[in-house]
Amino acid sequence: MKLRRLIVPGLLIVAACAAVATAYVLRLDHMVVHQFEGRRWTLPAQVYAAPVELYDGLPLSQSELEQELQRLSYRRVASPIPRDAAVRTGTYRKIGGRIDVGLRATRFADEARAAEELSITTSEGAITSLTDGAGREVPIVRLDPLLIGSIFPIHGEDRIIVTPGEVPPLLPAALIAVEDRDFETNRGISISGILRAIWVDIRAGSWEQGGSTLTQQLVRSYFLSPRRTASRKIREAIMAVSLDEHFSKADLMNAYINEIHLGQDGNRAIHGFGLAAEFYFGKPLSELDLEEIATLVAIVRGPSYYDPRRHPERVLKRRNLVLEEMSQQHVIPQREALSAEALPLGVTSRTAGAYYPAYLDLVRRTLRRDYREQDLTEAGLKVFTNLDPRVQADAEHILERELARLDRRRQAHVAHGARGARARPVPQLQGAIVVTTPQSGDVIAVVGGRDAGFDGFNRALDGRRQIGSLVKPFVYLTAIESGRFNDTSIIEDAPVTIKLSGGKLWSPRNFTRQDYGPVPLVRALAESLNDATVNLGMDVGIDAVAQTLQRFGLAAEPPRNPALLLGTVDLTPLEVAQLYGGLANGGFRTTLRAVRAVISAEGKPLKAFPVEVQSVAKADAVYQVDSMLEQVMERGTARGALAVLPRGLVTAGKTGTSSDMRDSWFAGFSGSDLAVVWVGYDNDSVTGLQGATGALNAWSHLMADISTSSWDAPIPDDLQQVTIDYPTGMRADGSCSGDLVTVPVPQGTNPAVKPGCPPMMPLGVAAGGPAGAGPAGGVGAALQRAGKWLQGLVH
Amino acid sequence: MRGVRGALAAAAALVAVSCQSLIGPPYQAPEQSPAGPTRTPPPAGAPAAGAQSNAPQPPAPPQPVPPPKQPPTRQFHLGAAASALVQQASRQAASGNPQLAQSTLERALRIEPANPLLWIMLGQAHESEGQYALAGSMGRKAVQLASGDQRTQASAWRLIGDSLRARGRNEDANDAYSRADMLAAQ
Repeated sequence: MKLRRLIVPGLLIVAACAAVATAYVLRLDHMVVHQFEGRRWTLPAQVYAAPVELYDGLPLSQSELEQELQRLSYRRVASPIPRDAAVRTGTYRKIGGRIDVGLRATRFADEARAAEELSITTSEGAITSLTDGAGREVPIVRLDPLLIGSIFPIHGEDRIIVTPGEVPPLLPAALIAVEDRDFETNRGISISGILRAIWVDIRAGSWEQGGSTLTQQLVRSYFLSPRRTASRKIREAIMAVSLDEHFSKADLMNAYINEIHLGQDGNRAIHGFGLAAEFYFGKPLSELDLEEIATLVAIVRGPSYYDPRRHPERVLKRRNLVLEEMSQQHVIPQREALSAEALPLGVTSRTAGAYYPAYLDLVRRTLRRDYREQDLTEAGLKVFTNLDPRVQADAEHILERELARLDRRRQAHVAHGARGARARPVPQLQGAIVVTTPQSGDVIAVVGGRDAGFDGFNRALDGRRQIGSLVKPFVYLTAIESGRFNDTSIIEDAPVTIKLSGGKLWSPRNFTRQDYGPVPLVRALAESLNDATVNLGMDVGIDAVAQTLQRFGLAAEPPRNPALLLGTVDLTPLEVAQLYGGLANGGFRTTLRAVRAVISAEGKPLKAFPVEVQSVAKADAVYQVDSMLEQVMERGTARGALAVLPRGLVTAGKTGTSSDMRDSWFAGFSGSDLAVVWVGYDNDSVTGLQGATGALNAWSHLMADISTSSWDAPIPDDLQQVTIDYPTGMRADGSCSGDLVTVPVPQGTNPAVKPGCPPMMPLGVAAGGPAGAGPAGGVGAALQRAGKWLQGLVH
Repeated sequence: MRGVRGALAAAAALVAVSCQSLIGPPYQAPEQSPAGPTRTPPPAGAPAAGAQSNAPQPPAPPQPVPPPKQPPTRQFHLGAAASALVQQASRQAASGNPQLAQSTLERALRIEPANPLLWIMLGQAHESEGQYALAGSMGRKAVQLASGDQRTQASAWRLIGDSLRARGRNEDANDAYSRADMLAAQ
C-alpha cells in the first residue's frame, strides 16, 4: 500500500525531472547551435608599419636589407645547387652581392600583391638592381608591411583568423594525435578519454588531465567560464554532443584553431593559432615548420604554465613529447620527429618583436575620431600607419641608453656629494621621443617612456611640460616677419624688468648670469640669450608671438604674458613636433599623421589620411630663422652635437630648459627628419639638466643612427647671403674678424662694415639700397624687377 | 561623399593633368627625353586654357613684383623609382581611381620629398578632386622648392593660378598666371 502510494508521485517526480532535463538539454542545444552558427569572431583591427620601399639607388647595405627581411621573419636558406632554382615563399638566400627573396602575398593600403620572387643586388651600401622572378628589371618594390599590433577590446581577446587553406595540415593532425585521438569518430565526448583522465586524476590526487575532446575544449573556450565545477562539466558535455551533432568535424576543427587561448601579453589575450604563430614566431601560420607547430600544440595544454618565453625548458620538454606522440601515431616518420627534437624552440624574443604601445596609442586616438570602439575591436579593419620600425627601434634603444647614462652620472654626483656616507639612490629619469618626416607630416616613431614595451603613461602624447627656450625661434620669426629685423639686426642683451599685470616685477636673467650688450639676432638665438629675447619679444608684442605659435599649430591658447617669451607654456613632445614641423618645412604646416589609410576586412578602402600642407609663414622669414637654428648647432648651445653627428651632416635645432632645470628638451631637424626629445622626472622635480646636457645627446645619437639627409633648403629668391662678424653682426671678412658667420638677409640689406675692415662693395644687385628694406628689396632691385617684367611683356 | 558624377569628372580631370604631366616636357624625366621641346607658353597675361569667358580679360598690371632674374641654376627631374610611380599614378587616374593615384603620388613623394615636380603633380591631383586650397598650398610649396628652376616654378604658378581661379579669385589667378608666363619666358 505504502509503496504503491509512493510510486505515483515518484513516477511523477521522475517524469518531471526528465522533462526538466530534456528542456534543459534542448535549451542548451538551441543556444549552442544558434550561437555557433551565427558566430563571428571579434576581429581587432590590425595595425601595420610603413612598408620598406626598395629601389635602385636606395642607400641600403646588404646587411641592412637582411635586417629588414629578418624583422619580417624571412628565413635565410642555403644557396641551392642549381643557382637559379626558385626560392621558397617566406625565405631568402644570399648569393654574393645578391639576395633572392620569396616575397609573401601581402596586402597594402592600396593594393594586394601575390607572392613573387625578387632579386636585390647591393653594392657599396646601396641597391644597384632589382629583378623579378622572370629576370626583368623592376624600378620599385615594397616589402611586406610589418604587423605591429592590433586594437583589441577591453576584455582583451586578440586573434588573426585563418581559413582552412592557410592551416598547415600537420597542425590538425598533431592536435588530434595529442589532444583527442578519436576526434574523427567520437560524438563530441569520449568515454574512454574521460575514464583515462579520471584514472590519471585519481592516481595523482588532483586535476591533472582534462580528458576533454577538442569539441569540449572548444565549448569551454567559446561558451563557458573557465571554472571547473561538476555542473559545468555536465553542461560542457551536453553542449559538446550537441555541437558534434549539428556541425561537421572540419568546421569544428577550424573553429578550434581560431578560438583556442594560446598565451597572454599583458592584458592582451592571444587567441587562435594564426595570432600565436605571429606572437611566438613572427610569421604566418602557413610558414611554420614541424617543430614550431609542435610547440604551439604543446602550449595548448596550459598557456601560462607552458609559456615558451618564461619556461623554455619546460616547453621544450613538452614539445618533444608532442613530437614523439606524433611519430607514435604515425603522423610523421620517426626520423623527422627525432631531427625536429634536436632543434631549439626558436621563439622570438618579445623585445625583438614588433610591439610599440606608444605608437599604437597614437593610432588608436587618431582612429577614435572616425570610428566607434566596436568597429576598431571587432570589424577586422586593416590600418596602415607611417611607423618606421627601424627608426622606432633606434629611438627606443637610444633613449633607454642615454637615460641610464644620465642616471649613473647623477648617482656618481650624489655619491661624491655624500662624501663616504651612503648616498641615496637617485630616482630614474624619464623621457620621450617623437620623430617625424616634416615634408609629408608622417609620424615615424613615438617613444612614450623609458620602458618602451610597457603600455603605460605615454609621455610623448600626454606628458605636458614647460618648453622653455624651444619657444624662442617663434619669437625671432615674429620679429623677422615684422620686416624690422633680420639675422644681422642688433638687439640689446641687457637686464630687463617688466611690470606684470598684477603689478609684480619680472626680471629674467641669462642662463650664464652675464649680459652681452648689443648682439646680432643670430647670436642671441644661437646662444639662447634670455634678456635679448625678452627685449625683442616685448618689441614685437606678446600677442604677435602667441599668434605665430597658433599659426604653426598650437591648439591651446598660449598664456599672453611676458613669460611666454621664455617658454612658460606646457606642451607635449608631439605638439612640439607639430610646431617645429613648420620651421623644418619652410613655413608650411603639415598635419602630423600616424595613419595613412584604413581598409575593411574585405580590402575595401575606407579612409585615407592624405598629405596636407598649409602655408603659415613667409618662406624667407622661416629660412632666416632656420639658418639661425643651424648656428645653434654650429656654434651655439647645441654645438656639443657636432662630436656625435656624422661630419658634414647639416642640422638645425634648439635646446630647451624649463625653469629651475626641471625639463630638458631638444627639438631639431635635418633635411628629411625631425625629432623632439624630452628628458625629466615624472614628478616634475629638478633634474639639474639643461637641454644641451640631457635631451641633446639622445637627439644627436638618433640623428646619427638613422639615415638622414642634410638640411639644405634652397635659399628663397628674396634673400642673399652675407658674411658677418659673429659677435658684433657687422660685415667682415677673414682679414678683420676671427669669427665669421654667413647668414641670409633680405636682398638689399647692407649691414655696416666692422671698423678696421677694408672697404666692401655693397651687397646685392641693388647698389645703395637701404639696409633692412624688407623682403621687397631695395629701390634698385624693384626697378630692376620692373625692367624684367617689361622684358617679359616684350617677349 | 562627392557624387558619382563629381568623382567621374574629377577622375577625368586627373587623367588629363597626369597625362599632361607625363607627356608634357616640363615633367618628363631627362632619362627619357634629355632635351624635350618646350611647351609653348600661353601669351603673356592671357588666362590658361579653359578660362571662363567671364574671367577678366585685360592682363593684370604689374602689381605682383616679379622675382628678379636668375640664371637657371638647376632643372628638376624625377628619379627612376618616382618616375615609375608617377606613371602608375597616371594609369590609376585613367582607370577612374583618383584616390589611388593620389596615394601612389604620395609614395613617390616619400622617396623624393623635396622634388617640386611631385608636389605639383600631387597638387594637380587634389585640384581635380576639388581640393583647391590644398592644391594651391602644394603649388606654393613647389615654387619654394623649385628655387632656381624657372620652368618648374612656372608650372607651380600655373597650378596656383588654377586653384585661385577655381575659388573665384580671378584677379589673383591672373597675377599667378603672369608670374608663370614671365618665369617661362626667362
